[in-house]
Amino acid sequence: MPVDVIMPQMGESIFEGTITKWLKKPGQRVERDEPLFEISTDKVDAEIPSPASGVLKEIKVREGETVPIKTVVALIDTDGATTSAAEATEAEEQKPAETPASAATGAEPGPAAPVPAAPAPQPVAGEDGRRIRSSPLVRRLAREHNIDLTTIRGTGAGGRISKRDILAAIKARATAPAPSVAAGRPEAAPAPLRLETPVPRERIYFGRYEVQPLTAMRQRIAEHMVLSKRTSPHVYSIDEVDMTRVVAVRNQAKAEFEQRFETKLTFMPFFVRACVEGLRAYPTLNASLDGTNLVLHRELNIGIAVALDWGLIVPVVKHAEEKNFLGLQRAINDLAERARTKKLKPEEVQESTFSITNPGVFGGLMGLPIINQPNVAILGVGAIQKRPVVIHDAIAIRSMVYLTLSYDHRVVDGAIAHQFIGKVKSVLENWQENIL
Amino acid sequence: MKISLRREQYLELYYYMRLNRSLEERLVTLFRQNKVVGGLYSSLGQEATSVGTAYALEKRDWMAPMIRNVGALLVKGYRPRDIFLQYMARYDSPTHGKDGTSHFGDLKERHVISPISMLGDLIPVMTGVAIAGRYLGQNIVAMTWIGDGGTSTGAFHEGMNFAATQRAPFVCVVENNQWAYSTPVRRQVPIRNLADRARAYGITSYIVDGNDVVAVYRVAKEAVERCRAGEGPILIEAKTMRMKGHAQHDPAEYVPREMFEYWQARDPIARYETFLSRQGLWTEQEKQQILDRIEREIAEDLAFAENSPFPPPELAEQGVYCEDAYEIKPEWQRPIEEVMPPKASVQAVWQVEDFGGIAEGAVQVIEAAAAPARDGTGRRQVARTPQRGKKKLSARGKGR
Amino acid sequence: MAHVTFLEAIRQALFEEMERDPAVVCLGEDIGVYGGAFKVTAGLLERFGWERVIDTPISETAIVGAAVGMSYLGLRPVAEMQFMDFIACCFNQITNFAAKSYYRWGAPVPIVIRGPSGGGVHGGPFHSQNPEMYFVHTPGLKVVYPATPYDAKGLLKSAIRDNNPVLFFEHKFLYRRIKEEIPADDYTVPLGQAKVRREGRDLTLVTYAAMVHTCLEAAEQLAQEGIEVELIDLRTLLPLDRETILQSLRKTNKLLVVHEDTKTGGIAGEIAALVCENAFEDLDGPILRVTALDTPVPYSPPLEERFLPNVHDVVRAARELARY
Ligand SMILES: Cc1ncc(C[n+]2csc(CCOP(=O)(O)OP(=O)(O)O)c2C)c(N)n1
Ligand SMILES: [Mg+2]
Repeated sequence: MPVDVIMPQMGESIFEGTITKWLKKPGQRVERDEPLFEISTDKVDAEIPSPASGVLKEIKVREGETVPIKTVVALIDTDGATTSAAEATEAEEQKPAETPASAATGAEPGPAAPVPAAPAPQPVAGEDGRRIRSSPLVRRLAREHNIDLTTIRGTGAGGRISKRDILAAIKARATAPAPSVAAGRPEAAPAPLRLETPVPRERIYFGRYEVQPLTAMRQRIAEHMVLSKRTSPHVYSIDEVDMTRVVAVRNQAKAEFEQRFETKLTFMPFFVRACVEGLRAYPTLNASLDGTNLVLHRELNIGIAVALDWGLIVPVVKHAEEKNFLGLQRAINDLAERARTKKLKPEEVQESTFSITNPGVFGGLMGLPIINQPNVAILGVGAIQKRPVVIHDAIAIRSMVYLTLSYDHRVVDGAIAHQFIGKVKSVLENWQENIL
Repeated sequence: MKISLRREQYLELYYYMRLNRSLEERLVTLFRQNKVVGGLYSSLGQEATSVGTAYALEKRDWMAPMIRNVGALLVKGYRPRDIFLQYMARYDSPTHGKDGTSHFGDLKERHVISPISMLGDLIPVMTGVAIAGRYLGQNIVAMTWIGDGGTSTGAFHEGMNFAATQRAPFVCVVENNQWAYSTPVRRQVPIRNLADRARAYGITSYIVDGNDVVAVYRVAKEAVERCRAGEGPILIEAKTMRMKGHAQHDPAEYVPREMFEYWQARDPIARYETFLSRQGLWTEQEKQQILDRIEREIAEDLAFAENSPFPPPELAEQGVYCEDAYEIKPEWQRPIEEVMPPKASVQAVWQVEDFGGIAEGAVQVIEAAAAPARDGTGRRQVARTPQRGKKKLSARGKGR
Repeated sequence: MAHVTFLEAIRQALFEEMERDPAVVCLGEDIGVYGGAFKVTAGLLERFGWERVIDTPISETAIVGAAVGMSYLGLRPVAEMQFMDFIACCFNQITNFAAKSYYRWGAPVPIVIRGPSGGGVHGGPFHSQNPEMYFVHTPGLKVVYPATPYDAKGLLKSAIRDNNPVLFFEHKFLYRRIKEEIPADDYTVPLGQAKVRREGRDLTLVTYAAMVHTCLEAAEQLAQEGIEVELIDLRTLLPLDRETILQSLRKTNKLLVVHEDTKTGGIAGEIAALVCENAFEDLDGPILRVTALDTPVPYSPPLEERFLPNVHDVVRAARELARY
């Protein structure tokens, strides 16, 4: 019996996902729960395990394509008969390998004339304001084929656009010549790329070049960054913190900590702990803005930016206020590890209330991070370096770090931001907690 | 029928009754500590009935306990831990937390059938067990218990009647503990002895002092053996008393205090202790050994139960249907050919012995042997009925 | 191959299963000497004897209860309801004892409860009902309702061999009306699989039991008008073959459900919900139902005719849906 493999819903608010990689070829055997493909969504990249054991019969959605959740992306033949596997392989080979041009991510800008701007969202009413009568099927097909329903005349009962009508429209378009820029209505335009290109294309494509389509994750990051900058007026505050004490505490405890708890001891939990204290004192920074409402979160869920070879992800340490030091370190290590192995669950990259990023690990002296929406602030941690500093009019060698706070000026003012950093600084400089 | 017990058996009866009681006392503590999930039922005062009847069964025989038959479960080989685990809804319980209380069983080893809450439904089921056992040539007896209240259900009647027409080897123990929740026996049935019902089914019955474990055992043993010999189902009414409320939540204020006192003086365990001492069946040291053993076993089993995890949530979704791969195999103890054609083949005609008539023109009167029902005030209800009229009576009934 | 009635096919299944497995026994009212109110069990007693063919008192609770008890010792009892209407009397044994046994304490209950059901024979309110949905709502049971002699025999055999309590509804209107060639050798039809009785592109028509024949007739008529109906015979209501329904719906994009059971709480509602949850965006029209009225089954012929769905009702609904 064939079993459908579907695009999973990786979180409540997620409605589509992009297949980034198939880990099996049609005709190959796959075991239940064995990773079958990789996806990328707005929230998370993940390996998706096979729902059943059998032979991968058919791949319906290719790498790079974005489809709504619950779409059947492949079929697994659970009988696993060798004949059907062979058939599947053959069928596979006959199909062209490239991604169809209409797929969302494949809107590959060639040197040809630029495509017109994205059409407005699907209208719910016809031009004369009349509600268009169709059906769930018709609306889905319209969406998938990017057809504007106002352009179709319905022949069903009461002028309803029926399955027959939309199938006819799809067919007609397939045989019609490609639309030109000059044509009035952008009927059947390719799916819009959500990232804008602010300059005419000729100013990008010149000389010799290579075009690399952004990965799904890269696109999401790009969109998110543009969105954040457009939404929140960023202000930056910087302070430096004497980490000598923390460095000593860590050096002293490291060996025993790692042996006893079998997990790495890093600086991150020190910063998280300090932020927890700071956020408790200044809850305005642990908030989100919804229109004219400030939503103050009661939980302290700290997003931690993790750099990956293929991008960046911000898993969330939930309820950081309830965790002890070991709990924080374990959570951080575990999330980072699973981020690297694509094993994060969707809920683990959601519901952050504040974020921390650590450009210091790459040697950066400091960074001015972009706020992780819908947070209102993010802390950047620079590299910890020994520097000469003046203490009581004498020059001393201390381990120093720059902390940068980016915050949303719609909500947070400089005074609060500096008090918050002051609190963080004081926790770190006077570290009290026994970490073993 | 001569039925005798060896000395160890006398002591074993004591062990089970005492274990029954101590275990339930322990459960009350757990209930108070909020470790029992759901309600808690007690068989205080009824231990002799539960233990004495079950003790009459052999290993091959089948039983189905009711809520107050912890004693019978212990006799049939369950341990205190099973009962703790059931009440605490833990994963290691016989039902893995899918059901509680005495709702568990074991088809393979102990031959125990799990009851359901609906009273009376076990009667036809155990009738089926008895018929199947006979069909398979196993020579077994099926036993279950039912409360005085439970005898009022249709299922009880249908089951007893069917068992009787089939002459099924089935012993039904009616535990008349005087109360069904808050309703006294008199409001349940208008007859003095529930055993009288057996006559209508055309089967043998016994009435026994349910607080005398030896008497209960003797009667049950005799009944079981008569059943096994093919005499058809037997009903035993054990007169006893529920010494607590219906369950933990019920203070049983509706029970007259003198009634508790009457039965307190007849506590089955205290009586049996006196009996054992008078008959010189045990020494003080032996008694202490039994008590120590019980204490130890309960402590160990409770520790085990408390350490058992709750079931994993996903278990909720599993096991609704029995897979095809599960092999169901009856245990034949007679040649299969006997039940297969052509050996099984018969001529399909009824034998009707006396054609069912009576002497021409004859009339028979069978006077009610029943004691007249009394209402809650103790006054005779029958005398009042004509004056009050039907309408008023039913209105009063509703108000209660 | 032999030409047999629906009733004869059922009788054969009982015969052959009893012949095959001594664990199979039958019990019920008037099933032995008399051979059953409809003669479905005629000849069983003569062949298999008093121990395996048990005439019982009029006690549905005792019949099912005893069957449950017998099954605990490894037997596979087949209990007959003289009319399926009377199954209400043993509702508790079925839904509380049998259905929950395996889930609660791991004790399987391999019993079959079978009997005549359905209307169209002027049986009145208590000899015409379709009480299947009371049981489709009960996890742990299986509910089978065949439409043809071939299926009846094959499904009853599967039901007897199944390890779970199975309710087997025999539409009495079909007993002697429907005949079919069936193979002489032992075969079974798996539980839980619907059958596409007719392929079509315009709309999916899901039904079961006697309505299969009504709908086949309607489909012929619709074909004359150019409307090609894909007709699915559910055969088993629990577990429901969701996949066959969804697959067909994804092809035709329109769904009509027909049943002889009353409308409210009938399986049509369940199927509509199934489609909305799993294939909403494949729908090109509303999901329609053609069912009996939400009333008891009336006695007088004109009343019963009004009560039952007929070919005309099905054609009209299908036409409307095709045009939509
Ligand atoms: C058919 C049915 N109706 C109602 C109940 C609720 N109920 C549970 S126990 C009980 C009283 C039972 O009295 P009895 O049969 O005398 O047994 P006892 O509790 O005295 O042991 C009632 C009414 C039930 N379990 N089953
Ligand atoms: Mg009672």
